[in-house]
Amino acid sequence: MNLWKDLENGLIKENPTFRLVLGTCPTLAVTTAVFNGIGMGIAAAAVLIGSNLIISLIKKIVPNEIRIPIYIVVIATFTTIVQMLIQAFSPALDKSLGIYIPLIVVNCIIIARAEAFAAKNPVINSVMDGVGMGIGFTVALTIISSVREILGSGTFFGMQLFGSGFEPALIMILPPGGFMVFGLSIAAFNKITSLRKNREGI
Amino acid sequence: MRDYIKLTGILFIICAIAAASLGYTNAVTYDRIQEQMVIAGNEAKKAVLPGAETFEELEDSTFSKIKSNEKYNYISDIYIAKAGGNIIGYAVKATPKGYGGSMDVIVGVAADGSILGVRVGNNSETPGLGKKAETPKFQEQFNGKTWDNGINVIKSGTPKDNEIAAISGATVTSGAVTAGVNQALEVAKELSGK
Amino acid sequence: MKLGLIIIGAIFVNNFVLSQFLGICPFLGVSKQLDTAIGMSVAVTFVMGLASVICWMIQYYILIPLGIGYMQTIAFILVIAGLVQFVEMVIKKTSPALYQALGIYLPLITTNCAVLGVAILNIDTNYNLIESLINGVGGGLGFALAIILFAGVRERLELAPTPKALDGFPIAMLAASLFSIAFLGFKGLFSGLL
Repeated sequence: MNLWKDLENGLIKENPTFRLVLGTCPTLAVTTAVFNGIGMGIAAAAVLIGSNLIISLIKKIVPNEIRIPIYIVVIATFTTIVQMLIQAFSPALDKSLGIYIPLIVVNCIIIARAEAFAAKNPVINSVMDGVGMGIGFTVALTIISSVREILGSGTFFGMQLFGSGFEPALIMILPPGGFMVFGLSIAAFNKITSLRKNREGI
Repeated sequence: MRDYIKLTGILFIICAIAAASLGYTNAVTYDRIQEQMVIAGNEAKKAVLPGAETFEELEDSTFSKIKSNEKYNYISDIYIAKAGGNIIGYAVKATPKGYGGSMDVIVGVAADGSILGVRVGNNSETPGLGKKAETPKFQEQFNGKTWDNGINVIKSGTPKDNEIAAISGATVTSGAVTAGVNQALEVAKELSGK
Repeated sequence: MKLGLIIIGAIFVNNFVLSQFLGICPFLGVSKQLDTAIGMSVAVTFVMGLASVICWMIQYYILIPLGIGYMQTIAFILVIAGLVQFVEMVIKKTSPALYQALGIYLPLITTNCAVLGVAILNIDTNYNLIESLINGVGGGLGFALAIILFAGVRERLELAPTPKALDGFPIAMLAASLFSIAFLGFKGLFSGLL
């Protein structure tokens, strides 16, 4: 059904991180541990779904000239709500994500989907798009943070994986490691999708 | 003209709805967030001064005199720890300058002058090196040391009574924490009048 | 002295793009050519400085006195959006060529995490008005340094033979990681200066 396609889109074909290369700031900054990656993914997904929903609902009454400020107000409202919920229920996540929680408001993924999809599509489809993009983003963050956490701290989700003899590659959880893993992940993603295309082409 | 009124009107309504929903969420979560902040604030103090029932922040003229004293330039907060109405010690927060910037160090000093605990909080030290100051292994070295002499940092060998071993490869961080602890000991000694 | 440290910190030690990961989207998007990179950096530095000042005043003269600190995100981003509109108009009038060259990236300064990021950071670090201004301008200069250096590198990358999978973003990211390693070398600058 068409709805399913809207959801699936955000997972692979238009994966916001690996294909559209949007929302790169949090992708690089918070992926030092799987806990952070998943937390950020879910928080951003919540804002994305909420904003897609509202923007699609009000798209008929939003005058074109002021649509950007209105999108910003909607997205900022959801971001602040998510921020307060995190502060109230998970101070640990609040501490590790820090400034990147309010920065969800300028996560390009959210504004891009609002402008490109929610403003032109029915409410249900927009919600599905939000869910798909949100899951795609969370999965991408999880993959990158897994690599960085395992190689850089020797842990996964905080659990020690190797014995004390394992000397982790610190650079993985420092900024250069972020750039490296991100770049190589995009390359891997490109390679896999082109292999798939070749196979299907034949 | 009418266009402008319509545009401003719609923008205003949407902002009003946004502000209302934020106000509502704030009202609903406010208490819980305050609670979390208090718990977080007390965690460190309780960790370095187990057995304390209450912490009173020192804020009067004694505190201002201390703050203006050059030799206490790292001291940022002092809490008097009490149990059963008696003073059992002091929780002192210092912010010495580490390798990557300011570090938060909380020291629990008992009324008899011995260190009950040291906790290193917010810092920008290097992961794998200076950040090891956050580990119990480093912090426990300070336990039991007293305010009789200053604590020194040594790079190798077995530390004596008034010495602690630096983190290998992170002498600056280790020195900074020790400097903070020393000032905390000094100020606690002065406050206790001993 | 402290102001000097703030500006050195923002440009080198904690470079906004290469250490703090703020401003990556435009960093990747506009660094393809040297002249657009320079034009963008000037615009961003100006917006960051001005935004730091205005947001600081809003926080301390409006949000806190009225007890609506939770409106910070929404207030700041609206201020920034307005500022960017203003800068757009100014550039359109004074340099239509630059306006054309920057194209869509000019309104995108609104979503540049570095601008909102520095405004929030100033409040979190408890800077006063002057310190916030310096941090904002410094952050912009750090962004400028990163993006201009990178544009030089990318102009060469365009011509170099790379494996197909690495073409475009991946190889740019790997180049950025090397930059980031180089900037790590500045880490000890603070403890060396103090």
